[in-house]
Amino acid sequence: MIKFEDVTKIYPPSTVGLERVTLHIEKGEFVFLVGPSGSGKSTFIRLLIREIEPDRGRISVGGRDLDTLHSWKIPHLRRNIGCVFQDFKLLSNKTAFENVMYALVVTGNATNSSKKKAVEILSLVGLGHKADSYPHELSGGEQQRVSIARAFVNHPPLLVADEPTGNLDPDTSMGIMQLLYRINKTGTTVLMATHDREMVDRMRRRVVQLEAGRVVRDQKRGGYGED
Amino acid sequence: MIRNGAAMGKISFFFKEAFGSLRRNYFMTIAALVTVFLSIVVLGGVLVFVFITDALLAEVEEKVEITVFLKTDPDPTADEVSAMQAQINTWPEVKNVTYVTKEQALEQMKEDYADSPEIFESLTGNPLPASFEISLVDPQTVDIVAARFEGDSIVDEVRYGKEVADKLFAFTDQARNFMLIFIVLLGIVSILLISNTIRLSIFARKREVEIMKLVGATNWFIRWPFLIEGITVGFVGALLAAAAVLAANHYLLGRVSDNLAFLSVPVDAVPYILVTIVLLGVGVVIGAIGSAIGLRRFLRV
Repeated sequence: MIKFEDVTKIYPPSTVGLERVTLHIEKGEFVFLVGPSGSGKSTFIRLLIREIEPDRGRISVGGRDLDTLHSWKIPHLRRNIGCVFQDFKLLSNKTAFENVMYALVVTGNATNSSKKKAVEILSLVGLGHKADSYPHELSGGEQQRVSIARAFVNHPPLLVADEPTGNLDPDTSMGIMQLLYRINKTGTTVLMATHDREMVDRMRRRVVQLEAGRVVRDQKRGGYGED
Repeated sequence: MIRNGAAMGKISFFFKEAFGSLRRNYFMTIAALVTVFLSIVVLGGVLVFVFITDALLAEVEEKVEITVFLKTDPDPTADEVSAMQAQINTWPEVKNVTYVTKEQALEQMKEDYADSPEIFESLTGNPLPASFEISLVDPQTVDIVAARFEGDSIVDEVRYGKEVADKLFAFTDQARNFMLIFIVLLGIVSILLISNTIRLSIFARKREVEIMKLVGATNWFIRWPFLIEGITVGFVGALLAAAAVLAANHYLLGRVSDNLAFLSVPVDAVPYILVTIVLLGVGVVIGAIGSAIGLRRFLRV
């Protein structure tokens, strides 16, 4: 699903984003990306969705080589990657329902069945009764659920979450985790960057640890720190 | 059919997005509208001014005539006169020729000086010359036509106010060039002002654009609502401006012709429909160019 081959990204003048990272993630995996701030987690994700390009190395996602991907095809790449962020990135002037719909309309073939799809996915994340609320009327956990609904409504093969629980209290975080876990169960590959030690320890999934842009640990059923 | 349905849905989505955002960002919308309105009011004002001065100048130019006074001692014979009139009529530059007899000239003079009939008491016979009054198709040919009478045996004097005519032509040519430059400059200033306003409004929604891109919207999908927004602002601003300019023109023209009888501006001097179409067209183009310039820099996420 995701292949990083010897990838290096330097932010000018000389800040290391990633350094010689090689990492393979298979279809259907659930992977935690851990490490302190500035270790390269966000750089990894930004490279994945082609927000930025690597200085060296090759990246491929779902069989697409990002190196040779035409810029006009980037939107199509992104429709196959559901993204969830720490700050939710919801459109503040749209309701929960409209935010989810946006991801469907963007693909250019929204139909009447799309509306049903959006309503269904909102119920699935437990927000069926708040479909017409605006983001500012929702709690942090609820906003994150909307953003997960938006990321998943197209049933992308890959879901990427950058610190999705970073702004949430532990109980709410657990709910979000369970949602991501369920999404993973449907066969969607999930990659989640986090500092949430407790969460990682409890889930016992594959853990990739970054430090100063390098992969320092890659463990099949790991905890946050080295045991 | 399904693709078609999707396309329709997309278009209505774009319009909904555009109008929704115009309503939400009403402060920006009003700022942009006022900018478009003011620019196009000035543009429209200049346009109307050009039409009116054109009409006035055309009227003044119309009045440039050549008067050819014939000799009086002896008076030319009727044959000589009709021969000359026939010849003048063959010249393509000439629009109209009127022969004024000695008697008509005297009558006209008596009419002009009706307040002081004593002038004519001492008069024996008719000392006034007969004349041809010639109006021209193109007033600029006045020199050429006047020169043809030089040395003619029955012609005493040719008058055509050469200096007045020359000054007038110089002025009208200059005025037209000046107006043209003014309009071009104004158009550029309008586009800059509007593109800046739209750029500000897009800048205010930078985050929105960023999210759209992350969700997988293509550039054109993001552009369309903004373009529709810009064009709508341009169109509405131009519509208001056209109404204001034409209403002001109507009102002022009425005032001017009431107070200044010698300035007779033809009623149809300003073609209302043409002015409206031009202003609306300029508004739409300015709105489109403005949003295009404003958009260019924000799509590189």
